[in-house]
Formats: sequence, structure tokens, C-alpha cells
Amino acid sequence: MDNTEEKQIERRVFTSFFQAGFIEAFTGIFLLQLGLPALFSRSGFGDWQSALFALPIALILLIVVLLVRRFVVIPRLGHVKFLPERRRRISKLIIVPIITLIAGAIVGYIFSENASLRHTFVGQIPFSLIPIIVFSAAAYFLDMKRLYVYGVIVGLTFPLGKYLETAIVSRNALPVTILSIAFVFLGIAIVFLVAFLRKYQETGV
Amino acid sequence: MKELPNRGKKQTTDSLSEIMNIDRLVHSPARLSILTYLSVVEEGDAVYLLNQTGLTWGNLSANVTRLQEAGYIEVVKEFKAKKPHTLLKLTDKGRKAFQGYQNKMKGLLDIKSLSPGGT
Repeated sequence: MDNTEEKQIERRVFTSFFQAGFIEAFTGIFLLQLGLPALFSRSGFGDWQSALFALPIALILLIVVLLVRRFVVIPRLGHVKFLPERRRRISKLIIVPIITLIAGAIVGYIFSENASLRHTFVGQIPFSLIPIIVFSAAAYFLDMKRLYVYGVIVGLTFPLGKYLETAIVSRNALPVTILSIAFVFLGIAIVFLVAFLRKYQETGV
Repeated sequence: MKELPNRGKKQTTDSLSEIMNIDRLVHSPARLSILTYLSVVEEGDAVYLLNQTGLTWGNLSANVTRLQEAGYIEVVKEFKAKKPHTLLKLTDKGRKAFQGYQNKMKGLLDIKSLSPGGT
């Protein structure tokens, strides 16, 4: 066995800790948190009110996911402390929120300079690029290729919603598109979790 | 029968002595599997090893005991939320033995692939 094979085994062990659908669940919750306030605000609520109504839903789902991880998944997978090299890669994930903040600030500045841009198809491009960059960074540092695909899907959600908004002339098309993709991710997460539970039984040792 | 060239003979003799010197404690499939999965993490518990190796609890326990007796792995038994929890870690001696085994096997396979009739 050479170093490459050991790396492959280590990668397989590491990725096995993400097979219960947590990444999909977090992505779904993230999209839900974007789609719900947009839907509420289009239904006549103010921006702050919409955000406040959506927040508890996302928080409850987040707590459920974390509890499932703590009490259902980890007892079945076991506890592992990864090698320092892997831990360093994970710690580099801190770069993801930094990228998000910088990109968000740039987009915010552009829109503050030209508010009408926000409601155009071109105005959705930054909303596409941010998730693609963020998911790509996460894919690179976590060494998980499927995150690149998720980045593209999430990234395409915004221009697709905007396109549908103009194509079918429905002001709810954008939030409905975002929420549909969110539910797809949450559905995938549930399928992954069920598959995981069928594969792994609690050993109690 | 075609005679092997001298170099081939020497290599065959070397490889045979290498086979005889192989660490039998590591060579067992179950223990090799345990050492492999412990070598890619800093530490892991028994549930992790059960899942990754596919061994039964009894088989894992017996092989872990042998590796522990040889000083290849360190076993820490503790209680987590009032439940017994067994944590396992590869020792420096174990890591060296595992790497030595890997190198020997790689050398053997290389010699085999070089020797006449080898694949």
C-alpha cells in the first residue's frame, strides 16, 4: 500500500461522516432562509418582519439536524479524531464565511449604487457567483466533489427564478423557485438519512 | 527447464527471507484492517472500527487485545454519558510496525513483478 492509497482510505473515512445528508440539509435550510423571507415580503410583510418570521423555522430545522447528528448519526458511526493535516484543512473552511462577507459587501455596494439592477436578470449574476464560490471553497477544503455540483445548482436557482418571474409574469416565481430547490435538498437529505439508518445499526458498544 | 539468471536467483532468495521475516501480527487480514483504519486517524472508537472493518464485535475485541499486548495500539476505556466507550489509538511502535510491513510487502511485490514469470 502506498501513500496515495492511505490518502484514499482517509478520504473515504472522512466523507463517510457526511453520508447521512447533513450537507444537503444545511443547503436546504440555507435556501429556505433565503426563499421564505422573499415569499413573505412579496405577500405584503416588511423586510424585517419577513426575516423574523422565517428565522424560527430555519432555527428549528437547524436544531433538529444538529440533534439528529448528535444522538442518531454519531452513535452509529463512532467517534473519530482526524489527523492534524485533515483538521488543518477543515480549519481553513473559515475562509468560506470571509469570502461570503467580502462578496456580499461588494454586491451590496453595487446595488446601493444602482438599485434598479437588483430586479434585472443581470443583477442575479452576483447571487449566482457567491454560492458557486462558497460551495467550491467548501468542496476544495472538505475534499468533497459533490459540493461543486451543489454550488452550481444553488447558483443557478437565482437567475432561473428571475427568468421565470419575467417569463410567467409571477412576482412569486423567484421565492417559489428558491423554496422548490430548498425542498429538493431537504428531500435528498431525508433520503440519505434513511439510507444511512438502514445501513448502520446502533451497536451500543 | 530454463535456468534463472543469477540476479533472479538472488532476488528470489531475498524475497523468501523477506516473507519469513514478515510481521505476522500485522499480516492477519483483521489486524491489518484495524491498523489501516487507525493509521488514517489520530484516534477512533470501537464503533468506528466495527463500521469500517466490518468485523464482528468478538473478532474485533480479540484482535485489538493482541495488538494491544504487542504495544501496537493503545486502548483507553472510559465512560461517556454513563455508557462505556473504548477509544483506540495507534502507538509509535504500531505505526512503525505498520509502515515496516507496508514497505516489506511493497518490496516483495516489486521483486515479484520484476522476476521472470512475475506479473
